[in-house]
Amino acid sequence: MIFSSISFLFFFLPCLLFCYFFVPQKGKNVVLLLFSLFFYYFGEKNTLFLLLTICFVNYFLGRTIEKSQKKIWFISGIVINICLLFYYKYTNFFLETAFSLLHQKAPFLNIVLPLGISFFTFQNISYLCDVYKKEVPSQKNFFTYTLYITLFPQLIAGPIVRYKDINKELENRKENSKTFSEGIARLIIGLGKKVILADGMYYFSTQLLQEDMSFLSYWFVALSFLFQIYYDFSGYSDMAIGLGKMFGFHFKENFDYPLIATSITDFWKRWHISLTSFLKDYVYIPLGGNRTTRAKNIRNLSIVWFLTGFWHGASWNFILWGMYFFCLLIIEKFLLKKYLKKGLFSRIYTLFFICISFVLFHFTDINELAVFLKGMFTITFKNNGMAFYYLKNYGMLFLFAILGCSPYLKNTIKKLQKGKERKWLNILSVGYLLLLFLLAVAKIVSNSFQPFIYFRF
Amino acid sequence: MKEKFLSITFVGILFIFFALGIIFKDQKISLLERRYLTTKETLNKDPFTNLDAYLSDQFPFRNTFLSLYSFFDRVILGNKENNNIYKKGKVLIEKNYPLQEKNIEKFSQKINTIAEKYLNKDNRVFYALLPDKSYFLEEKEYQKLDFQKLIKKVEKEIVFPYIDLIPLFQLQDYYNTDIHLKQEAYQKVVEVLAKNYNFSLQNIFWEQQKNNNFYGSSYAKGAYFAKPEELNFYTNAWTEQADVWHLEYGKKKVYDQEELASLDAYNVFLSGPSAYVEINSPNALSEKELILFRDSFGSSLAPLLLPYYKKITLIDLRYTSMDKIEQYLDFNHQDVLFLYSTLLVNKSNLLK
Repeated sequence: MIFSSISFLFFFLPCLLFCYFFVPQKGKNVVLLLFSLFFYYFGEKNTLFLLLTICFVNYFLGRTIEKSQKKIWFISGIVINICLLFYYKYTNFFLETAFSLLHQKAPFLNIVLPLGISFFTFQNISYLCDVYKKEVPSQKNFFTYTLYITLFPQLIAGPIVRYKDINKELENRKENSKTFSEGIARLIIGLGKKVILADGMYYFSTQLLQEDMSFLSYWFVALSFLFQIYYDFSGYSDMAIGLGKMFGFHFKENFDYPLIATSITDFWKRWHISLTSFLKDYVYIPLGGNRTTRAKNIRNLSIVWFLTGFWHGASWNFILWGMYFFCLLIIEKFLLKKYLKKGLFSRIYTLFFICISFVLFHFTDINELAVFLKGMFTITFKNNGMAFYYLKNYGMLFLFAILGCSPYLKNTIKKLQKGKERKWLNILSVGYLLLLFLLAVAKIVSNSFQPFIYFRF
Repeated sequence: MKEKFLSITFVGILFIFFALGIIFKDQKISLLERRYLTTKETLNKDPFTNLDAYLSDQFPFRNTFLSLYSFFDRVILGNKENNNIYKKGKVLIEKNYPLQEKNIEKFSQKINTIAEKYLNKDNRVFYALLPDKSYFLEEKEYQKLDFQKLIKKVEKEIVFPYIDLIPLFQLQDYYNTDIHLKQEAYQKVVEVLAKNYNFSLQNIFWEQQKNNNFYGSSYAKGAYFAKPEELNFYTNAWTEQADVWHLEYGKKKVYDQEELASLDAYNVFLSGPSAYVEINSPNALSEKELILFRDSFGSSLAPLLLPYYKKITLIDLRYTSMDKIEQYLDFNHQDVLFLYSTLLVNKSNLLK
């Protein structure tokens, strides 16, 4: 089940709201847990038992680590989680790579990838680490721990919510009308980002890719990949954060206007924050971080960026994508840092390299990727008319996408809310949100199914 | 206050649509979308896989939502096309682009092969093209194929004479919501055919049969707001007395009025898509026979020719190959017309 579907919005959500707000406080977690399990079962029937088993193993390990404080339990926990992730996500990739080195055809194992395994594996690891480091007490109640892992807003596509960030809210939280309505607003904005902007960009690139491509077409398509991935994933994060708020949870932000970043370093402070902070806290810093020799620092960075790429998918293009950022970050760290300050040049520089990065991200077929990159850097003026025709058709969509990726509108509205126009602005903003919701529903009704990109991971 | 209003309205919308979904009876077909909708029965088979399709198909006021987004997409986002459909004023126009040169070659080769293999000197043979609606679009604003190039290429490759019908038509001759020409527009075609096939036109009375509730295929694809329009067909003694035989369906009528309530009301003309149809017109004014190689456009032309031809045979090569129907045909002295819309010429990979 995805958030941008009729079954979620008009079947799952009303049923959940009804049950959740009509049961006494004690029963709320039970309702959330049951609905979350149903949510998961709806998406993937065969792996629910596996998910529950993983929850139990990690719950048990958390309790044992806390009681015994033995490293062996902690290491066992990390190894078990990583092995499961590798088995389910990467076995076929490794087989294929190994057999291709031997010039043989690899057998394909029919392994069902459990939905959201990349996200809940990292959540389990962060939990075990934090319990081991005594940053947070272990969860005594198995059902509460299972609720943490299976909580539907963040279960299958993140953000990676750490146990220590919501452990208190799991036990005791208060929903109120303010956070409930803030959650609704966030959910609607996320829905609009996904179904109008991200899917619109998908149609743009799909249509243009079917035509004779020109130099400009390649760049327009590359730009649309960037917007599509950004609005798809940040839209999903908005919906997750919004849904969390509706039920009294406060998840950390996952995006902070990454497309206005002034350097690649800055970009990664703003993009998929829950993943980068996880890798920083649980991989980079334990390896020594930057408080070590330059050579070791470079090694640490290379490991982190290899993992960043590989986490996104069992395919070489994702590894290439991660290592591409590694190279850029090294160059910035040791050469360009002093030149990259706030300003137009820095933003253009950053956008240029990010735009290329999402071409690497898009094409899992290396040959297709090579053709596309060649097209982007072969300047010709043939067939550019086609690119302009499509840009004209989707011009407003691009305009909305550009406006949406800067905080300018949000800041302007905040300023106006402090002035005399506050009352009118409030009415307008509610009207805007409701209209956006109806438009998003209209789009979903008219849409052929378009799954979220991040469900692959 | 703002918070409460947003929360109550949002939750209200969720619950109202949830309740309406339960209260409203399942719709089995969507006449506007021309397809069968997913109903509750599919949930018995696999509820998890089919739930979303079911809820989307049975969503209350589905058609209004479909049109709402098309409106937003066209008017606010400025997107000229939706599912390859343009909207120009009230007229919905199917995009026919780009020019598929290989398909045009294939089309010409197909016709030449049939002519070479089956036709003889006694056959009077012509071919003609009917412009699709995109012919009337402005080149600067829309993606419009090079019709002159298409026609020249076909003329160059096909070995027998061409009848130029294209100047006969205007955009008003077509249905607003469908790709086809209205039947009344074919009267002009009959006049041109009379000159070429050498039969004399008579002052024949045609009675107009009206149907005011027609939504065409372009409406279903584009989902733009549009009003239903008239689909008229013309009857007289010749159409009433004609015997119609389909290879697939057996005996039928010239105008199959049951089809007016079906998914595609245009099927009223000769019961819709059919590989091979024979129409015998016992009271025709001559003994002439016509073999019409055609696409769906030909279905509404054939009835108007019944006063002039004793027998009309319609062959649709999208649904059959010549090998399969040659047993039914005996080419000798008939008039033969290859009549295709430019939509099909450019997509002739559909021909068998």
